[in-house]
Amino acid sequence: MANSSSILQQLGCVRSLFTTTTSRSTTLQTPMVGRRMLSTVYSAKPDPIPFPKGLPDQFYSQIPKRMRPDLAPKKLKIVPPPPAPQCKDAVAAVTQAQLKTLDPSGKRMRLFDYRRYARSVKPGDIIRVTFKNGDPFAGLVLSIKLRGADTSVLLRNQLTRVGVEMSVKVFSPNVESVEIVQRSEKRKRRARLYYMRQPRHDMGSVENLVTNYLRQKRALAGKKDRGNKKR
Amino acid sequence: MSPRLSGQLAQLPLLSIWGSCPTVHGQVPIRTFGIRSLNPPKTSRFDVGPGLPILKSSPTAALERKANTLPLRTGAIATKKGMTGLYDAESGKRIACTVLQLDRLEVISHKTVQKHGYFAVQMGAGWRRPANLTKSLLGHFSANGVSPKRHVCEFRVKDETGLLPVGQAVNANWFEVGQYVDARSNSKGKGFAGVMKRHGFGGQDRSHGVSLTHRSLGSAGPSQGGGSRVYPGKKMAGNMGNEQNTVQNLKILQVDQENGIIVVNGSISGPKGCVVRIQDALKKPWPEVAATSKST
Repeated sequence: MANSSSILQQLGCVRSLFTTTTSRSTTLQTPMVGRRMLSTVYSAKPDPIPFPKGLPDQFYSQIPKRMRPDLAPKKLKIVPPPPAPQCKDAVAAVTQAQLKTLDPSGKRMRLFDYRRYARSVKPGDIIRVTFKNGDPFAGLVLSIKLRGADTSVLLRNQLTRVGVEMSVKVFSPNVESVEIVQRSEKRKRRARLYYMRQPRHDMGSVENLVTNYLRQKRALAGKKDRGNKKR
Repeated sequence: MSPRLSGQLAQLPLLSIWGSCPTVHGQVPIRTFGIRSLNPPKTSRFDVGPGLPILKSSPTAALERKANTLPLRTGAIATKKGMTGLYDAESGKRIACTVLQLDRLEVISHKTVQKHGYFAVQMGAGWRRPANLTKSLLGHFSANGVSPKRHVCEFRVKDETGLLPVGQAVNANWFEVGQYVDARSNSKGKGFAGVMKRHGFGGQDRSHGVSLTHRSLGSAGPSQGGGSRVYPGKKMAGNMGNEQNTVQNLKILQVDQENGIIVVNGSISGPKGCVVRIQDALKKPWPEVAATSKST
């Protein structure tokens, strides 16, 4: 309904146009002023009347606040920021500094970073770790967690027929040496060999393998000072 | 005379135009204005008399009370970057630590006892685009000559000796290796959590006739004898986490002034990237540093 009424309004305008032309054209040819047209002529917005110059201060109170020259907003001076810290990854920076002191030659990193170095320890290998304080521990590598300075390996063995697992922080200053006793025959298809905990997959004790390895090592060391895998 | 107008103002000749009453002995009658109570407070007759203790509700009394528990110098706004481990040089033991970073930390303004009733240093960290700031904050920054900051907070100090000059940058070497700090930050938000997770309630049985209410609370309170109502503060399900938590007495393990890195022993509440406020530990002796010693 609103639609039709708006059309009607416009039509009414047209009608007025017709009526006036017919009546006026016969009598006088005077131009029409103020006739309603379909379109209105664009006229620019009039400029605001400029402020009288030298207006005394006592008249300021009569002017609306937004126009008062003495109340114009002041331009804020924004100070540029100081330079941001260069270091984007703070944790990595701390880790790198740690590794520099813990593993200056990078040998330990190469021994465990199995994603980059082919000759590294891999899950499924049997390794023997000796400590500065405490007994050495040997076991099957179940998983290697690569976490920079926090890198650790999970070793599994059986002591007195009881399954024992030990997580060794590789870069700890307590870890004196890491030797690879035996590499796994085939590449394991998993990065975490937690299925080796199940009885049907459990390797049992690795004690025999380690004693064999140590005997061989001693023999080789006695003959000629070679074949030392100690790192 | 109105309490709002000081004596000096009352003697101004300009104000005489307001006078509606006739002047008496040259005194200018002042228009009283403002809202006044119909029943002005009266002192109780028991509160007057000699030998009564002075009330301890004034700002000066509060400052005196807090003299031993307010740090001498300001703290810092840091960002939690993550956790890692450090190895102790002697024992070879691993120490879990949190890595914090300072980002363009500067003093913005002061709070003084004369004006605000307490002493504090307002610090700002990071940078925020001026277009994204409110005009009032922007005006505050520009008035103090400091760049627009993302994070702003106050650190209370004991007295005016702890007020660092405005605009001074505070770097990681503001803290010393080996000193202790308190770290406060918002914990990780857990959303709307049930009573078992939020308050450690035991829940209800899996079976024995329990149906559909295995993880809910049992009763919310006693019956008629207890007032037949739920007492205020009853532990119930609700929003968990994202609350401020303070971890006290964290040792500073490393300080890297160049990168603004501070390594702190132990853990701090909140996710990575959260804002952490660190200040000298309350429960340890204050570090042997001048309160406004230059840091940079």
